[in-house]
Amino acid sequence: MFDLLPPALILLVGALLVGPLRGHWRSAAVLITPLITLWAVWQVPDGVSLTLPFLGYQIEPLEGSALRRLFATIFSLMAFVGGLYAFRHAKWYELAAGYAYAAGAIGVCFAGDLITLFLFWELMALFSTVIVWCGGTPGARAAGIRYAIMHLLGGVILKVGIEGVYVHTGSLDIQPMLATSFDTWMILIGILINAAAPPLSAWLADAYPESSPTGSVFLSAFTTKTAVLALILLFPGEPVLIWVGIYMIMYGIIYALLENDARRILAYSIVNQVGFMVCAIGIGTELALNGAAAHAFAHIVYKALLFMSAGVVVYRTGKSKCTDLGGLFRTMPLTTVCGIIGALSISSFPLTSGFTTKTMISQAAADGGLVTVYFLLAAASAGVFLHAGIKFPWFVFFQKDSGLRPKDAPWNMGIAMVIFAAICLILGIFPELLYQYLPYPVDYIPYKAGKVIFYLQLLLFSGLAFFLLLPLMKRTITISLDVDWLWRVLAFRIGKALYTRLSAAGSKLEAVVQQNLVNLTTFTRRHLGVGIGEESRGLFARTWQIGTTTLWIAVLLTIYMLVYYL
Amino acid sequence: MSQRPEDDAWLVRPTTIKLLWRILWAVLALTVAAHFVIPVKGYFSIESWYGFGAAFGFFCCLLMVLVAKILGFLLKRDENYYRGDQDDV
Amino acid sequence: MTILASLAIPLVGALAILLAARISDNLRETMTLITSVALAWNVWSLLPSIMAGDRPEIILFEVIPGIEIGFAIEPLGMLFAALASALWIVNSVYSIGYMRGNNEKKQTRFYVFFAFSLAATIGIAFAANLFTLFLFYEALTLLTYPLVSHKGDEKTLRSARIYLGVLLTTSIGLLLPAIIWTYLVAGNGDFTPGGILAGHVEGPALGLLLGLFVFGIGKAAVMPVHRWLPAAMVAPTPVSALLHAVAVVKAGVFTVTKVIVYIFGIEHLFTTPSSGWLLYVAGFTIIAASLVALRQTNIKRLLAYSTVAQLSYVIMAAAILKPLAEIGASIHMVAHAFGKITLFFVAGAIYTASKKTEIGQLAGIGRRMPWTMTAFTIGALSMIGVPPTAGFVSKWFILAGAFQADNYFAIFTIITSTVLNAAYFLPIVFIVWFGRETEGAGPDHGEAPLPIIIALTTTAALTILFFLFNGPVIALEAQIFGGPSS
Repeated sequence: MFDLLPPALILLVGALLVGPLRGHWRSAAVLITPLITLWAVWQVPDGVSLTLPFLGYQIEPLEGSALRRLFATIFSLMAFVGGLYAFRHAKWYELAAGYAYAAGAIGVCFAGDLITLFLFWELMALFSTVIVWCGGTPGARAAGIRYAIMHLLGGVILKVGIEGVYVHTGSLDIQPMLATSFDTWMILIGILINAAAPPLSAWLADAYPESSPTGSVFLSAFTTKTAVLALILLFPGEPVLIWVGIYMIMYGIIYALLENDARRILAYSIVNQVGFMVCAIGIGTELALNGAAAHAFAHIVYKALLFMSAGVVVYRTGKSKCTDLGGLFRTMPLTTVCGIIGALSISSFPLTSGFTTKTMISQAAADGGLVTVYFLLAAASAGVFLHAGIKFPWFVFFQKDSGLRPKDAPWNMGIAMVIFAAICLILGIFPELLYQYLPYPVDYIPYKAGKVIFYLQLLLFSGLAFFLLLPLMKRTITISLDVDWLWRVLAFRIGKALYTRLSAAGSKLEAVVQQNLVNLTTFTRRHLGVGIGEESRGLFARTWQIGTTTLWIAVLLTIYMLVYYL
Repeated sequence: MSQRPEDDAWLVRPTTIKLLWRILWAVLALTVAAHFVIPVKGYFSIESWYGFGAAFGFFCCLLMVLVAKILGFLLKRDENYYRGDQDDV
Repeated sequence: MTILASLAIPLVGALAILLAARISDNLRETMTLITSVALAWNVWSLLPSIMAGDRPEIILFEVIPGIEIGFAIEPLGMLFAALASALWIVNSVYSIGYMRGNNEKKQTRFYVFFAFSLAATIGIAFAANLFTLFLFYEALTLLTYPLVSHKGDEKTLRSARIYLGVLLTTSIGLLLPAIIWTYLVAGNGDFTPGGILAGHVEGPALGLLLGLFVFGIGKAAVMPVHRWLPAAMVAPTPVSALLHAVAVVKAGVFTVTKVIVYIFGIEHLFTTPSSGWLLYVAGFTIIAASLVALRQTNIKRLLAYSTVAQLSYVIMAAAILKPLAEIGASIHMVAHAFGKITLFFVAGAIYTASKKTEIGQLAGIGRRMPWTMTAFTIGALSMIGVPPTAGFVSKWFILAGAFQADNYFAIFTIITSTVLNAAYFLPIVFIVWFGRETEGAGPDHGEAPLPIIIALTTTAALTILFFLFNGPVIALEAQIFGGPSS
């Protein structure tokens, strides 16, 4: 029976149980539900196993394949580790929202048609907004509203695209397509908004750092990666994605280099890493798609790890800015080590999961003869080490003595971090464990001596550059402007100016109409005075009684009869 | 509160830092040297130049830091920039 | 005969309420509930035969040769009547809680005129021709006046005057001439599938006639004849809820849709370019009303402008002139009704429990009134059109219809308005759940009285249930364009 049950439902039930249950029952629900979901994921067979009628269509809420199961696996695992990290410190509604959010992501994984995909997409948007709001600060409120609006905009654009595709092709199936018509462009744009592609990527760095330490761990994993899955399923090989991806990669690096807040650095880093995946999808070969999927898997693990270590810092010190932090390695050795492992992974250091996954993408670019892309990706790898691999751990844990001596992570957070750090290393040393689950057969060998040397040179000399250029990279108490300035500031100013002009015009118009109505009323009163008392009021202002009402109806009816008769 | 350098954690003592730098230079030299022993074929001919990875990495980083610095002049604002005229948005 | 029974029940009920009030308040409320249940029972009993394709009609009498008072039921009217009668029951439960909770005066007058208004609404829904519809349309305006001006103070009377003024002026000045024109050129005003104007009115004259109708039907609140809606917010919330979220405004858009489909005929309009302006006027209303709503700080005024925008969704959908869009228009009547009535119920619940009327006062109120605010969240999501609410279903059909006509203006208007709706509803959702109550902000209070909670939970549940179970409604409305579909 379980193989007919969408795994997403199991996780949703878990989300619903979090509220009513208390104490150890709640903890049990939080920890066990994702594991059950994980098991259910592996019961889903290939192909469509469930159809339902909805809105006059037949939708397919459960369709399995190797690729879908891969993503659903890492999502369930992420829910488990995230829940483990959060369950002793997060508010119950943040946990519930987190699980509902994860359930939405898993629902998208197994969506067999575009409507199901959309329904779960919106579910994710709703509950991730709640998580942002759980940050509790006025900043979280404002960022959450902007986040929600952006995602609802993306959602409605996606919906428009889906309906267009349906009306014009009659099919709601999830199948590869290219961005050639208005409809397909709308779908692509809707998905790219969730993937945080520029120019609409500001929401990610705006909202994620405002959430709570536990919330940001959930947020980092799902929205962007479901967008990646959707792109793999719907737009493999769409050429525009190569350049969108490259732009995202560079955008992430530059903005992360400028940034002061530790979690915002990580947020820009998400855009950067997703850029690798988007670029790979654009390349579209089997190796490239394998790379995108593998990279997504590895990225969820090490990004969550980074957010977890940053989260511990915020939780213990209340601070997140590089200018306030430093020297924490003294009292937080576990967090430091886990943070470093995450940082090495994201930089694709040999022996970590980043090396065995991201390098597939570079190879795919080389195989495709895309020289510029290949070298840009290589440069980007150096850049990743620069802005995330070294910058993040350096400024947070070393750098200078900030005087802070916080305690290390609480036990549950520690275990969560260790689990993911272990996965980073295991997948780095035994990549076949991941390769066997990739959608296409893999004949890629990461550990060729030459490649390892190349990457070691690349990364270590980037590290050298970092330390030599340190004086140029002083942290400043600033933020960096992004495209969202256009609507946060410019549109606001224009809107205000317009509104004052229009109100003035509107009031003038109203005054004119008002005056004419008064004249009309005075005229009618004088000539049609049906006296009931209250002479001073106009005809329409008197409190009418039933008798008068009926009288008027009769009068009106008589007038009509006369007119028609004539 | 100032501590005598010797009382601080091992990792941040000046002596340790000098040691760490020496190790780093050694490793860097090794990776370039290894290039002479192990052929780096790469996908494109340029990658077999000795120390290509090193130079590429170093100079790309240099470039990125400089570009970031320049863009920073345009893009950086005080961290409270948006909170001034903020009521809803 | 059942048609006439539907008209008679609320009329008789009104008298029964009046008499029962002499005996006791509880008897009076019981009569209201009995009447509303009886009406709904009667109206819904007509449903199966309409679904099967029956179109019962009855001509009462001829006033003058060619001008009759008659009733005929077709899918659109059936939907409207079913909606209004069903929601009257819920609204009556709510009214009991509200009127008693606020110790309102002149409650008898309230219930009596409420029943009268429902009679007029049924009359509009089942009207067979323009003349009959016009009679009941005017009656509705006049019968709702005592409800709008219920409070009786100077400010209320002034606003009620605007209400009456705008509606009567537009109907007598614009709608009546339009009706007369129709009768003169077509010989009758009967609602006929495919319309009666093809061959009689062409070109620019058609556009002009359409304008007279649309702006004459002031209850549809197309800009600039929308001012009466915010003004009518001085009424007690049960009045705002049913009449202005369901009956009066729905009568407006219902009439516009009915006129477009059964008098003009969508084929005829589609091929006549001069009628294209309606789409743009409706689209403008949607955007403009949403922008104004952004600036509102009073809960009911915000909801009023939201209603203006949502009504124009129906008009815009009708103006797309494709079958899927017309179905979307009629379904949006239902979806919006469920969502908006929930929101108004919430506004009244807040007022009853805490006397608060401004959005700024609502910080943290979700913790005191969880049921009420959950209903609010559901209603707000429905307005934005997010699944799993009713608003999603109707917007889906409207968009599908827009694609059938390649109408990109409508598509972009929907995208923009979705964003605007989110922009003014989401801050409220945040503030009620995550806001922090300031000390001494108001009286210590808990949830609203039980009848109110029952009512708003019911309508919120309906909003979600409609998302899941909408098949029959869609099937019913698809019949506008032909016999029963499989």
